[in-house]
Amino acid sequence: MENTGFWIKNEAGQVQFKGGKNDWSEAAEIAGSCPHFLEDYEGEIVAEEARSCYNCRFRRWTAASFVCLKALKE
Amino acid sequence: MKIYVGIDDTDSIDQGATGESANQLIKLIEERRWGRCQGLTRHQLLLDPAIPYTSHNSSMCFTADLEAVYLPSLIKEAGRFLEQNSAPGSDPGLCVAVEEHLERAEELIAYGYETKVRIMTKAEAYGLAGKLGVHLSEHGGTGIGVIGALAGVGLRMTNNDGRFQGKLKLKGPGATMSVAEIKSCSPVERVQSLAGRILGDDEELRLGKKLKTVLLNGKRTLLVYRPEGEPGWETCTNRHLEDY
Repeated sequence: MENTGFWIKNEAGQVQFKGGKNDWSEAAEIAGSCPHFLEDYEGEIVAEEARSCYNCRFRRWTAASFVCLKALKE
Repeated sequence: MKIYVGIDDTDSIDQGATGESANQLIKLIEERRWGRCQGLTRHQLLLDPAIPYTSHNSSMCFTADLEAVYLPSLIKEAGRFLEQNSAPGSDPGLCVAVEEHLERAEELIAYGYETKVRIMTKAEAYGLAGKLGVHLSEHGGTGIGVIGALAGVGLRMTNNDGRFQGKLKLKGPGATMSVAEIKSCSPVERVQSLAGRILGDDEELRLGKKLKTVLLNGKRTLLVYRPEGEPGWETCTNRHLEDY
């Protein structure tokens, strides 16, 4: 895996969040300055911070973390 | 008759949400006076890179008390609704199970649990639905949503899986209410701690920001916890409910 700051590039070439599913502050900080952030449907909101990668429509959950679907396209 | 309606895979990354599709279906059923629908629940399925889910691999289910004569119309209209309203590129599936016609519900429940731990195939879903006499149909794309639609019904039947969609509208954050008050003015049937203690009607709790309920022991349950350093009970946060 390639290590780039908050993110890891996994074997499938996907950009995966390094903080797993419980790094709430990091996920909020990243989303705070992300131009792609879009809040997901209400039923899929998990973080208390409204603006968080964990609440973003473009995060795809994995067993241990999530991959960013917008980062994939860049 | 009591029916279970499960749907899945109606969204794409850019458009739609299966929860919204389910809410529109509920509206359609009630506007046509075919029956009365009960709470909509979200059920988490397996997260595995080999499964082509959009972002969370969850399916939706609601129950309805339906006039039997409207069952064929409901199945036909729900299918048409999914075809016309699902996001381009999605793979919607529809499942409708009639409780009184289902003799081996335990097989459907076992299937639901299996979708949380194993990658399932469409053939398995259709095979089980056919065997149990449950309606299962696909309405666009690859139709792979039939797997989740069937699983959603099975998991709802467990009476112990899923979060109810929508937030409770009670008093504002920080307000205190008794269990009896909450039960009398909302769909909540039980208030329970994360450790499993059921609160009595005269006990009080503080309301948090977002009030969500889960399905536990067949009851619409509001979960509470004791925050560190503060007295009394408080409603659980989104983070507490993540695993339900």
